[in-house]
Amino acid sequence: MSFLSAQGILVFFLLGMVVFSFFSEQFLSQSNIMTVVRQASIIGIIAVGVTVVIIGGNLDLSVGSLLSFSTVLVVDLHDKIGPVNAILLMFALTLLIGAVNGFLIGFMRLNSLIVTLAMLSAIQGLVLIYSGGQNVDIANQQGTWFAFFGRGYVAGIAVPILLFGLLAIVVQVVMSYTGYGRRIFAVGGNPMAAVYSGIRKNWCVFSTYLISAFCVACAALVLGSRVMGSQNNVGQGYELLVLAGIILGGTSLLGGAGSIWKTVIGVLILGFIQNGLLLMGYPYYIQWIVTWVIIILAVWLDLANKRKRLLTTHS
Amino acid sequence: MFKKTALAASIVMMSTATVYAEGPYRIGITQNNVGVDSYQTTYESAFEAAAEANENVEIVVLDAGGDVARQIGQINNLIQQRVDAIIIWPTNGQAVIPAIRQAHKAGIPVVVTNSKIAEAGLEYIAAFSGPDNVQQGASSAEMMCDALDGEGQIVQISGQPGYTTAMERAGGFEERLAELCPGVELLETQPGNWNRERAQRVMEDFLTKYDRIDGVYAGDDNMGVGALNAAKGAGRADEIVFIGATNFAVGYDAIERGEYYGSIYQSPVDDAEAALQTALDVLGGQEVPKMNFFETPKITAEILGEFDRPVF
Repeated sequence: MSFLSAQGILVFFLLGMVVFSFFSEQFLSQSNIMTVVRQASIIGIIAVGVTVVIIGGNLDLSVGSLLSFSTVLVVDLHDKIGPVNAILLMFALTLLIGAVNGFLIGFMRLNSLIVTLAMLSAIQGLVLIYSGGQNVDIANQQGTWFAFFGRGYVAGIAVPILLFGLLAIVVQVVMSYTGYGRRIFAVGGNPMAAVYSGIRKNWCVFSTYLISAFCVACAALVLGSRVMGSQNNVGQGYELLVLAGIILGGTSLLGGAGSIWKTVIGVLILGFIQNGLLLMGYPYYIQWIVTWVIIILAVWLDLANKRKRLLTTHS
Repeated sequence: MFKKTALAASIVMMSTATVYAEGPYRIGITQNNVGVDSYQTTYESAFEAAAEANENVEIVVLDAGGDVARQIGQINNLIQQRVDAIIIWPTNGQAVIPAIRQAHKAGIPVVVTNSKIAEAGLEYIAAFSGPDNVQQGASSAEMMCDALDGEGQIVQISGQPGYTTAMERAGGFEERLAELCPGVELLETQPGNWNRERAQRVMEDFLTKYDRIDGVYAGDDNMGVGALNAAKGAGRADEIVFIGATNFAVGYDAIERGEYYGSIYQSPVDDAEAALQTALDVLGGQEVPKMNFFETPKITAEILGEFDRPVF
């Protein structure tokens, strides 16, 4: 029983799947599950990076605009300088913006909420300057291997899902089993103690924003390839969906706790809720309300559970 | 005959006389959100080019950046500057009405462009100039009916919820479809928010949910192409007819490849030129009807050659 309550979010997830499957016979079909996981993988890939930032005690709200930036860039450059150069340049510039975030927050010690909120607008401005407000498209959609990242399959599994899974596993291993991962937890949990125990906090925080930017670049690869074109504001609102997935998974916004594994579950729950409601034929406004009610419910359950645990250990 | 011509000539002379007496006109424009999409960006450059070509016009170009409060401030500014006419691309059809009333009170004629304002504000504007979105929806319904021979089941992916254009297109489509083609059943409508990726996701879910889909109507081609992407991914593109609106370059190319049935051709250049011309007609003292719609014809594979590939 204690195991069950500790895995509350997982139980919640499975319960939800069962309930939805009563209402829609396609819901648990293999093709639908694949569809949902593939749809969720763009948010998931970003969420992996942002989870690291949050564990390190900061926030990253700039990921939505950064996703627009990176997607527009890679799609636009694809026809101009070829896919390989486009991808390399996109990764380089995305990491550069991540480094700016990291420098301002890690070394200048500015508040991460303010910095990334400012960057959210600034990067969107950058996108508009770059594209002149025009949509970008890849002209020859059939004949490019760039399609692999968003539309390809390896051993019957969609590439976005593989990328999501691979990133999640690698980052989870790094966070749980390496000194680097433990230092991020320490910095997020108690920055003062971390500094006194000789951890270079500035560098740790800086690096989390590089990881976040790297994940955004991977997501842009998938998104650009999936759509084969991009609007200027394609990533708008992703920052909130990513946060929602992370919170739903149970990673604390206060830093120092959480896991990639939880985030993966949270993101999947979010994807299945939206898909399930649509399959059941509910209009979009119901989807919005239900999604956020469930998020608030999940946060409350998590908090109630923690309080109970605190009380029982004290008594 | 001579008399009539003479009369007409004298009217022309009189009106040109008044134009030169008062001109050049200073016309202020506050746009919705330039740069956010290709249509608005092209509109702005076309508007500037049209004004440039007319030596009798001076323009003050402003952009609200999608922010209704900023747009109201810009209208007030234009009133203070005593421009001769104001053209507004409303960020919100309701909230801009008080500012439009102020301009009306100050004796400055207001022309609303592209997207309508609410009924309550109509008495304060000199004219509306833009596309007839209800008619566009109806035209799309006619194409759907033709394409499916009056039989089948379809889904709809609509634009941003609450946005006038989205509601008018969906309304026009549904009404005309029901009246013209009772044999075509609209299974479900979900919004794609003018976003291709979002439309792609919605379509993927539709494809899971319905084993048979014969047609898709999308509120614009950007979303229509997203739906096409999804259907291709599921290997079901061949059995589905795709119809959109506001023909985009990607939609144009898809029609050319035979993957996309048709769309509605709406040129931002026509839109911008019509707005400027309407404002000039109002200033020239002509009788201008309240609603001025510019032509937005159907476009399908057979007549594709008659249209230039859209620049956006």
